[in-house]
Amino acid sequence: MNEQLINAINRRTFLKGSSYSVGSAALAYLLSHETQAASKWKGVLDEKLHFAPKAKRVIHLCMAGGPSHLETLDHKPGLARLNGKPMPESFTKGQQLAQLQGSRNKLKCLGPQHEFKPYGECGRLMSSAFPHIGSIADDIAVINSMSTEQINHDPAHTFMNTGSVIPGRPSMGSWLLYGLGADTDELPGFVVMTSSGGGQDQPIAARQWHSGFLPSRFQGVKFNSKGDPVHYVNNPAGVSRDNQGDLLNTINGLNNLLGQRQNDPEIATRIAQYEMAFKMQASVPDLVDVSKEPKHVFDLYGAKPGDGSFASNCLVARRLAERGVRFIQLYHRGWDHHGNVKGAINTVAGHIDKATAALVKDLKERGLLEDTLIIWGGEFGRTPMAQGSGRDHHIQAFSVWMAGAGIKGGASWGETDELGYAVAKDHVSVHDLHATMLKQLGINHERLTYRFQGLDFRLTGVEKARVVEEVLA
Amino acid sequence: MFRNPPALQLVTAVLSTGGLFAEVDFNRDIRPILSDHCFACHGPDEHERKGKLRLDTAEGALKGGDIGDALLPENPDESEIIHRIFSADLEEVMPPPDANKNLSDEQKNLLREWIKQGGEYAEPWSYRPPETSPVPPARISDWPATWIDNFILDRLHREGLEPAPDTDPVTLVRRLHFDLIGLPPSAEEVGRFLKEWKDNPTDCLEKTVEELLSSPHFGERMAMYWLDLVRYADTCGYHGDQDHSISPYRDYVIDAFNDNMPFDQFTREQLAGDLLDSPTIDQKIATGYNRLLQTSHEGGLQAKEYLAIYFADRVRNLSNVWMGATVGCAQCHDHKYDPYTARDFYALGAFFADIDEAQHFRVGTNNLPTRRPPEIDVHSKRERMRLAELGTKLSSHTLATSEERKALEAELAALKKRQRKTMITVATKPRTIRILPRGDWLDESGPAVEPAFPAFLEKPGNPVQSKRLTRLDLANWLTDPAQGTGGLTARVMVNRFWYLVFGSGISKRLDDFGGQGEAPVHPKLLDNLAVEFYKSGWDIKHMMTLLVTSRTYRQSSLETVDLRERDPYNRLLARQSRYRLPAETIRDNALAISGLLRTSYGGASAKPYQPLGYYKHLNFPGRKYSHHADDRQWRRGIYVHWQRQFLHPMLRAFDAPTREECTAERPRSNTPTAAMTLLNDPSFVEAARVFAARALSEGGPSVDSRLAFSYQEALSRTPDEEEIRIMKQLLSTALREFESAPAAAKALVSTGMAPAAGSLEIIQHAAWTTVARAILNLSETYTRN
Repeated sequence: MNEQLINAINRRTFLKGSSYSVGSAALAYLLSHETQAASKWKGVLDEKLHFAPKAKRVIHLCMAGGPSHLETLDHKPGLARLNGKPMPESFTKGQQLAQLQGSRNKLKCLGPQHEFKPYGECGRLMSSAFPHIGSIADDIAVINSMSTEQINHDPAHTFMNTGSVIPGRPSMGSWLLYGLGADTDELPGFVVMTSSGGGQDQPIAARQWHSGFLPSRFQGVKFNSKGDPVHYVNNPAGVSRDNQGDLLNTINGLNNLLGQRQNDPEIATRIAQYEMAFKMQASVPDLVDVSKEPKHVFDLYGAKPGDGSFASNCLVARRLAERGVRFIQLYHRGWDHHGNVKGAINTVAGHIDKATAALVKDLKERGLLEDTLIIWGGEFGRTPMAQGSGRDHHIQAFSVWMAGAGIKGGASWGETDELGYAVAKDHVSVHDLHATMLKQLGINHERLTYRFQGLDFRLTGVEKARVVEEVLA
Repeated sequence: MFRNPPALQLVTAVLSTGGLFAEVDFNRDIRPILSDHCFACHGPDEHERKGKLRLDTAEGALKGGDIGDALLPENPDESEIIHRIFSADLEEVMPPPDANKNLSDEQKNLLREWIKQGGEYAEPWSYRPPETSPVPPARISDWPATWIDNFILDRLHREGLEPAPDTDPVTLVRRLHFDLIGLPPSAEEVGRFLKEWKDNPTDCLEKTVEELLSSPHFGERMAMYWLDLVRYADTCGYHGDQDHSISPYRDYVIDAFNDNMPFDQFTREQLAGDLLDSPTIDQKIATGYNRLLQTSHEGGLQAKEYLAIYFADRVRNLSNVWMGATVGCAQCHDHKYDPYTARDFYALGAFFADIDEAQHFRVGTNNLPTRRPPEIDVHSKRERMRLAELGTKLSSHTLATSEERKALEAELAALKKRQRKTMITVATKPRTIRILPRGDWLDESGPAVEPAFPAFLEKPGNPVQSKRLTRLDLANWLTDPAQGTGGLTARVMVNRFWYLVFGSGISKRLDDFGGQGEAPVHPKLLDNLAVEFYKSGWDIKHMMTLLVTSRTYRQSSLETVDLRERDPYNRLLARQSRYRLPAETIRDNALAISGLLRTSYGGASAKPYQPLGYYKHLNFPGRKYSHHADDRQWRRGIYVHWQRQFLHPMLRAFDAPTREECTAERPRSNTPTAAMTLLNDPSFVEAARVFAARALSEGGPSVDSRLAFSYQEALSRTPDEEEIRIMKQLLSTALREFESAPAAAKALVSTGMAPAAGSLEIIQHAAWTTVARAILNLSETYTRN
């Protein structure tokens, strides 16, 4: 059946499904203009991708606050040997530091606070604080040689999300919707969820999922863990689905009369948007209602329904992936460990370790991992130097991992120096990471552009970016 | 040989700007192609210049580069440019394939035709001071109402088009109200207008425009736009996005428009009010402009880094707002498309070097509001006037009763308490500004620069300044047509006034008149308007009057299929435009229709209902939002608390900007989110139930009379038969449903905190609320037509 016909049938069902129908003239018009009003955005690349795509969607697990690479993915025995000793000045001279700036002369090394163990068949050494992530070691590729340009949370997130620190640039998810559209017209194509616990919660600004200069319909929609999952998605108090349906039909019928008088295509679009709103009002609550998930799934994730935890968000992320959402971003805001990094890592691991691994396993079991790209990482790393019992922000080195969609499981790429201070080999920039993500989606990062203020902007900026082929299967 | 004769291809190529000329115009036809495809490597930025060839000046093109003669006038076949762009050799072809900047056949042929016709350059239109051109004669002599119309008509006739008929007076009065005060006309106002229109349309129009321009709501409407430009918000934007103290500046802007403050003075007071002789309180408040940028006091931030961020932010905003330029692009390198150098960027920013912004890194707090000294405690101008009035009254001993005295004393006491803090500018010793090599704030090796105007805009005759230039000099330069760039500034601004009443600018880009902007569709009209603006003494009300009393403005917005194909974006103005109202106006409109709108003027920001937990992600400190539980709930959108990172979802849904950067033109999106907002946001549901109560109590006894009342209030017209039939059907289904669910009916009519509608029967009220929701959601209700 072709898509137009399906739309036509859906529309008839929609119009007749409620207790009231619009005037016959209006109805006839609506039924004969299916395609005009159908407004599903297929993206500017609309099946003219630059490469054969490996990924259909992305799940970005954003560990907000700046996870310490030294307690997660970057094994540094050399740092352990210097624990408590002065940081060699050759590393830090002339370098930008955050809160440690004032105590420049008294910098001391802090050895890794968690033991590293080999995991998986690949035998990669990973922090024993995250045994569940260890259990998927063979599914993930680790990059240890990331660096960023921004030492404070807000601009560093902005850089990670938009490839620029200048406000007003589109975020990754918005770029993807602009380029590819989404495989759903009942849900937003770019969904953001947040959770907290494990450290002082960094604010997460809405600019992180903003569409910038792209049209506003490409902006991320943040789901709330309490109240309406999406703003205004529920009917007003006292209004039933039938009553709302009657109202929608009346509005659309009358708008259609106006559209005929004024011959204005904007009105046809508006009619379609009201229809989609009505669909979303049903599909969003259905999406977040996890009560029908079996117990073993809750056990796998370690989630309790409606608790707003990272684990619950991971479960919803899987449901979003199943429903055709293009870009799913989960923030966990507990990673800013200026003090007691040892204990804080344990706490945050309790929040995210099991659920992260569960998401990968669950997607794999359902055959979704092969076309879902998962990116795990934060906005920067943390210093090898102690800040009391913790670590300060650090931009010279951090680690991320990726999984799914054509990623070479078990691979590792890039190295830092012996203290984990700076990248020593095979540097990967944030723009390189973006280019790699786009490649997996079938996009040449230099060719997804948007004209704004007279310039052709792209996610990866003007400097050359490199696809990290080494982590691709 | 080309498949088509070049002249024919020219026609298709220039249609995009609406032109139909066989003669190639450099600024209109050629500059955009060169700028977009060539200037990045062969433009003003000498560090990036390839092959020693420069194509943005005639001099450079004629001189050629490493490859020899780039451009030989009238001889395209010998010109290297033409050879290269037509070349099939991948090593040779320009632009190089990896630039992803391929020229279309039309563009190549245009370049060829241009060189054949002589290959002449013209000075960029926007750097040429505006000059008055003679008004073209009108071929339909009774059509023009102002000289604007002669220009529009002349162009239409050259295109073989006719203007649209005048719109009907109801549409006209609604259009005037939305455009000039951002509110719908009341049923009485429409009735009065129609009566006067019948007597004498010209007098009626003039009188109405005059009344609207004298309304305090005019200032609110204009300020709504200005605040987008200057990125006004109630919070500091970065990190914790704490509240900062600035609302008196918003009131200053509203007052300035209402008092019709000349635009040059408006400019001076905002940029440099503190440098004027004995500045008034209002002039100090005005300097809040310099404090509107996003700021941070995040722990661990690098002072030098943020000083560089703030510096660039100021230059971007100043140049967007007043110069229609993107000087911000020259932060790391000379501008790629316009003649601004990196030195110009730093020299412009150096005007603001006397603002001590480093102090808030030390004293900024995680309180609400945070501290951003220097701040002063002030009353707004209106409040001060009222305070003086009360003082006089209370001391005059003529008060009739002690009650009267008591009331005045109470008002005085309340008013005194309403003092607000506001950030201002106080000049300090300027810090040293260095050119940062490639914008890198860690690199302090660049040369120091003093404040200076962009070199290429300097008037040759101007004396060399011996003293350091100040922000006041900058403001004067921006508004002085003779010695500075006043003419250019005027052109930037009148283009925006045009946008406010026609839906798009004469030049489409409202914040970039540079090489990557768009040449104006009516360059002479734009120039005449610009000259008129400064010659009138920068009189904004005069300009608005001129625009809205034109015949062009009064046209119907209806379009034929043929016209839509010819001119899809209505650049030629063979009709008026039709578009969705801006976010704040959608709110104000619904509140006004329902009768809930509170029109109090100025003051601290208002907090309407907002989804629970929306600020959950803010921290330092954690945020809890409490909506205002009094009349402030129903204030106009312009007064709504503007939280940069979490702007009210209703405002977001209708494209209000976060105000992190200058916004000269808002998008007009059409999304399901917007639909859900209008359907379900309690502010709109409450407005519907209050509107329904009015229909029941004021709309007469019958369903028909109540529907007529509702349409009249919301749309200034009566419903037709089909509309009545559809609405009656909705009403009867809703009645049936609520009869079987009285508790639901009760819940619906209890939405919001507006007082319950006394004696109304609940089932009836709920069903009529459904009808009212339908009316508030009609496209026609929130479309400016």
